[in-house]
Amino acid sequence: MANIIRAASRRDVLSITAISAMGGLLGAARAHAAPKSMTLMHESSFIPPYDAYMKTTLAQAYEKATGIKINYDTVSVGSLQTRVTTAAETGSGPDLTCVAFNWPYLFDEKLVDVSDIAEEIGKKGGGWHENIKEAVIVNGKWKAVPFGNIGQLMNYRIDWFNEVGVKDFPETWDELLEAGIKLKKNDHPFGFELGHGFGDNHGWLYPLLWSFGGREVDTDGKTVAIDSAETARAIDFCRNFYEKTMFEDVLGWTDVSNNKAFLAEQISCTNNAESILFVAKKDFPDIGKVTGQAQNPKGPTGQRFHILNPWSHSVFTYAQDVKAAKDFLVWLMDPKQVAGWYDVAVSYYAPFLNMFDQSPMWTAEPRNLPYRDSLATSHLPGWPAPISRPQSESVAKYVVVDMFAKACAGKSTKEVIADAKAQLTQIFKPA
Amino acid sequence: MSSTTLPAVYIPKPRRISGFRRWTEREDVFSWLMIIPPVLFLLLLVGYPFVYGIWLSLEDRPVAHAGKFVGLANFIADFHDPVFWQVVQNTFVYTFFATVLKMVGGLGLALVMNQDFRFKNTIRAMMLLPFIVPTVLSTIAWMWLLDPAFAPVNWFLRWSGIANPGPSWLGNPRLAMMSLIIVNVWRGLPFYGITLMAGLQTISPELYEAATIDGASTWDRFVYVTLPLLKPVIFIVTMFSVIFTFADFQLVYVLTRGGPANATHLFATYAFDVAMGGGQLGMGASIALAMLPPLALIIIAMSLYMKPHKS
Repeated sequence: MANIIRAASRRDVLSITAISAMGGLLGAARAHAAPKSMTLMHESSFIPPYDAYMKTTLAQAYEKATGIKINYDTVSVGSLQTRVTTAAETGSGPDLTCVAFNWPYLFDEKLVDVSDIAEEIGKKGGGWHENIKEAVIVNGKWKAVPFGNIGQLMNYRIDWFNEVGVKDFPETWDELLEAGIKLKKNDHPFGFELGHGFGDNHGWLYPLLWSFGGREVDTDGKTVAIDSAETARAIDFCRNFYEKTMFEDVLGWTDVSNNKAFLAEQISCTNNAESILFVAKKDFPDIGKVTGQAQNPKGPTGQRFHILNPWSHSVFTYAQDVKAAKDFLVWLMDPKQVAGWYDVAVSYYAPFLNMFDQSPMWTAEPRNLPYRDSLATSHLPGWPAPISRPQSESVAKYVVVDMFAKACAGKSTKEVIADAKAQLTQIFKPA
Repeated sequence: MSSTTLPAVYIPKPRRISGFRRWTEREDVFSWLMIIPPVLFLLLLVGYPFVYGIWLSLEDRPVAHAGKFVGLANFIADFHDPVFWQVVQNTFVYTFFATVLKMVGGLGLALVMNQDFRFKNTIRAMMLLPFIVPTVLSTIAWMWLLDPAFAPVNWFLRWSGIANPGPSWLGNPRLAMMSLIIVNVWRGLPFYGITLMAGLQTISPELYEAATIDGASTWDRFVYVTLPLLKPVIFIVTMFSVIFTFADFQLVYVLTRGGPANATHLFATYAFDVAMGGGQLGMGASIALAMLPPLALIIIAMSLYMKPHKS
């Protein structure tokens, strides 16, 4: 009996060795064979030539160079996070994806560590802007290669501001309020989103809060700090700003509303990405000529802030060939390729690589320069606390946006702070 | 060995029915065979997600991260969340007004459509349009209709000097809820209308004749003949409508995304925001599941109240 077993196991050992040797060879062969195609998922751009450039020019160039076909899969605006969630949860879908805000943190475990290529790309490109690191480095590892920032800045009507004697865009919130009062009297109110959109609400409300010295949570990421005299002052200012310069509709606005209102000449100032100027120049040239863009005003702290709204690229851990995906990102971020992609979107995506700070794309439309200059003062929602899961919950529950919106709709400052504090305490409760 | 001679007649070969075939043709077996596919279908596509949803709601389950069983902690957190209670209130207000308006309006529509008139069939077909057009598309049209600058209503109000600039249909919390209810009623009315009309057509004209002979007025005929006979249909339609309205998502998501300041957030939209936007799948599932008990209670209460009395 024992002999038989020994014999059997000897045979088994032999066959197992043979099989694994073959398997190893096959595996090695497979590892060296480049995949036939890879899929990169992106949200449809507000700048249509941007998507077209990837589909036609870049993807084709890459296929020509390497034989790997790049499928550029665009999803509708606002649905990218759902798609990334599905891919991460089911472990199937695109190999590479565009990620925004703090998603590198949210999807951390399902994203490949790209520190090596990110640092290499950074070195070649004159270094990365410092702020982007707060969005893509998770526990010391780069989980995405930064691409560009879709800044949310002030968009205003130069002609109407001139009419009330304001030549340059106001430097402080108080001066902007003063201009707004005059403009509303001239039937040119302001229109800043206070509803439940994805970005144009956070785009000015977090910076407003920060520039008054307020914050949601302390730097430790745990202590709720919303209940402060600074927050109260920011809320009082916001209520006043809303009442004296805007109209009720902004409380229900979503992200498309302010673009529509600006291009319909209903409002004289809003907070938005470059898309308003881009569309105006193309479809409403008369409005395009008199549209200006400026950085957000300074608050009583003497500082100005902006929302960090970065697009970066990540590789899913389940990708069929992680190395090939990383190679593609290295190729894509090479100035030879990526400069063209930035150019076609006319700086809508402000590059995070220092080498592009003096790029000709900024001189093509000097009115976009504030988007470059705003990078240094841009932060993710929840700053100065580090990125965290509770922070995402707070954004999804619109805690800060609704705090301001409720105050504008008539609730007392004390009440809205108490509401926000109660919500944040629950969201940031120790696990 | 004796042999018998058989007459040379043709004996038809008995059709061979296999044991299996005979077994499947037994009524009790056959009925089960018919039932199994839909049951499997339901188990896979409804049962599994449902059970998985319950499991998720009992976990602290961040997206793309292993879950940790936490018992009822998510539900307890929901109960301490002021927005959750606002969502509960919003959903009840939305469902109640939308359903009542659809029921009354739909019945009226059915009574009118049940008459004989020219182009009857064309108009009946057109009536279904709001129901056929994809919700997202029609809701985008409503977004323009409710826009303060471009809306015909506000334009008329301004033009006639009644109000300038006119009400903010989606910016004012109360008006926003009202607008959503109006759009929901607009979309759901055809469903009520067509189903109730089908119900009306099953009522025998003889009953009306008999009632008329007994001296019943139009109103009497409606109350004593039409309504009681239509009750089972009304019940079914209302039940469906309550379920769909209670769990509505698309309409709110396109028009307000729950704003202003949560005034129009419903269970489904809030659950979606927390689960997808916030990456808290467990908490999102608990919010979505929280709509189950009230919905079940409403349905049970409705079926008790509207159950046709057996005489």
